[in-house]
Amino acid sequence: MAALLLVLLASAPSAEEKQLSIYGPRVSYSLPVSEHEGQDYVALLEALEPFGNVSARAEGAKWKLRFNKLEAEFRQDTSVGKVAGRKFGLPGRFVLENGRGLVPLRALPAILGLMLATRTEYHEAGRRLFLGGVATHFTTDPRENGLRLNFSAPVNPLISTEPGKLKMSFTRDAVVANANILRLENPLVSSITFSESNGEAELVVLGRVPLLAQFAADRRAIEIVPAPSEAPSAPPAAVAGTAPPATAPGTAPAAGTVPAAVAVPPPPTLQSLTAKPAFVVMLDAGHGGDDRGALLSETLEEKGVTLAFARRLRSELQGRGIGVVMSRDADVTVAVEQRAAMADAARVSVYLSLHAASQGRGVRVYTAMINSVSGKPGGFVPWDTAQARYVLSSRALADLVKAELLKHEIPSSQLSAPVKPLNNVASAALAVEVAPSGADVSSVSAGVYQQRIAAAIAEAVVVGRARVEAER
Amino acid sequence: MTRALTIGTGLLLAAVLGMGAYLYSLRRNEQARVQNLPDTRPISAPIMGPASRVTLYLAYDDPGVVRAQEASIALPADPGERGREILRALVGEYVKRPSAHELPAGADVKDVFLVDANTAVVDTTAALAEGHRSGVFVETLTVVSLVKTLTANLPGITRVKILVDGKERETLAGHADLECFYDVVTVEQLLEQLR
Repeated sequence: MAALLLVLLASAPSAEEKQLSIYGPRVSYSLPVSEHEGQDYVALLEALEPFGNVSARAEGAKWKLRFNKLEAEFRQDTSVGKVAGRKFGLPGRFVLENGRGLVPLRALPAILGLMLATRTEYHEAGRRLFLGGVATHFTTDPRENGLRLNFSAPVNPLISTEPGKLKMSFTRDAVVANANILRLENPLVSSITFSESNGEAELVVLGRVPLLAQFAADRRAIEIVPAPSEAPSAPPAAVAGTAPPATAPGTAPAAGTVPAAVAVPPPPTLQSLTAKPAFVVMLDAGHGGDDRGALLSETLEEKGVTLAFARRLRSELQGRGIGVVMSRDADVTVAVEQRAAMADAARVSVYLSLHAASQGRGVRVYTAMINSVSGKPGGFVPWDTAQARYVLSSRALADLVKAELLKHEIPSSQLSAPVKPLNNVASAALAVEVAPSGADVSSVSAGVYQQRIAAAIAEAVVVGRARVEAER
Repeated sequence: MTRALTIGTGLLLAAVLGMGAYLYSLRRNEQARVQNLPDTRPISAPIMGPASRVTLYLAYDDPGVVRAQEASIALPADPGERGREILRALVGEYVKRPSAHELPAGADVKDVFLVDANTAVVDTTAALAEGHRSGVFVETLTVVSLVKTLTANLPGITRVKILVDGKERETLAGHADLECFYDVVTVEQLLEQLR
């Protein structure tokens, strides 16, 4: 039991992980932040990936990055380098770690400003970086039975409730406020506070009565209304705004709105934790290290494309409140069977094996070529046929991924295929093969294209979460 | 002193040249002897038998389908050898240029072993895997094409394993599993999706 609990705790994303959120006109994403000599650092290549073709190579202590036609160059353990042809001083040493170039976080706004030729605004306390003047503002609009928050762009916050309080966490939305506290003469809401921390913005709505939040259909407004009286008062519980809608007992969602707050479940106990582990997705970026995978073009290797795509998908999933573990987050060799073993040991809910191809168009989604076995798993599971009990769940999820891709106007097909190591994974498992969007093979690594695919897959995981959890 | 050194060097040089000439003549004589020996290597039996109609399941990269095609080839009586010749005919289509699903030069099927009434093991050349294009889809097409062609022409075979140069291999070219036995039912299901 203790070992099981340890595995569960290890598989859940740590609440203490530092992150930086970057908001651009077309993409928003988060990056992990690491500490070196008391300073925050980020990987420069990952920061630039969503904006175009970027590559980097280490030559001894020298590290060179190429982004579109611009270059940056740094040397390990020195604080002076070159960015876009100019001499550039870092506020700390440049760190080279497993081939990844890390720069002090405080230098990133200036580097991105030079490389992207855009205006940057960095909120250091909240680790939020805004590019090209992007910002989502909001206004309050008192209503007869509540309060409406109007946003200048669609938002998708993670909403949690406490008695008399609503918290909205914005990771992917560039929400900003002119004041940190707004006091209101409203019968329902006494004040709204705004704060930023660890790559997130948070709005806390203090109510005079228990509150409920509902999205308007276009997600540009959030209605704050009194919670139904029969709704139970309970300790805090987080609910993703994009989660399948559920209503408080005895209530129905209002027409044209999507309820974001739901009946609060009882607090988790040890028993309930062991019965249903955290919902975590494992992203397995194919190949890596000695195994380059397919050579997609003269300069494009599959292992690099899959890693960039995995990072984008991680950002999309985390932005929707879903925990993610990665089989690799650097150019390292990981044996194929080890990847399945990692997924099984972490008891992940969904395993996604990510690949790229130069042939075909769009995205191909694969499930294991295995006959399904009915019944709930118990005890040991045969390694060679671990997927058999989950393959129906995998196929259902593949259907959702295909449907979401088509909604995003990305050609897709769904097949069964003998992809290693799908048969060895004891959870819903898919392989996703990204092919170019057109005749140009290099489009397979284009940031905007990958971002669209990642968003579609993340949406499918959110929609399919209930079924996957039910079949675990 | 100088004269003695010159004579000594000359003698040594003459000895080296003489030994070289002797070794060269020995080598030539040995080569001639080996060439004149009778060739005792076994020769494989010629394929005997009338031409038979078989069905090849040919993969097409574009639009990504597998289609059945009739062919007429001479087949031996032994079921294992029949399987080998059918698969060689299939792979031969892929080695041609141009081909709808190209396999590298040297790709071939070395043997087909019938382990029992239901199980066949296909041994391919190393070139087939080493030079195979890498990708989930292209590798899947090759595997499905081989397995379906074999099982369609050898009734009773329901499980197929693929070896490369006599050895088990993890994947064909980084994606398709070659450690498992392919079940004819699941291959048929995939084939339905590829028609």
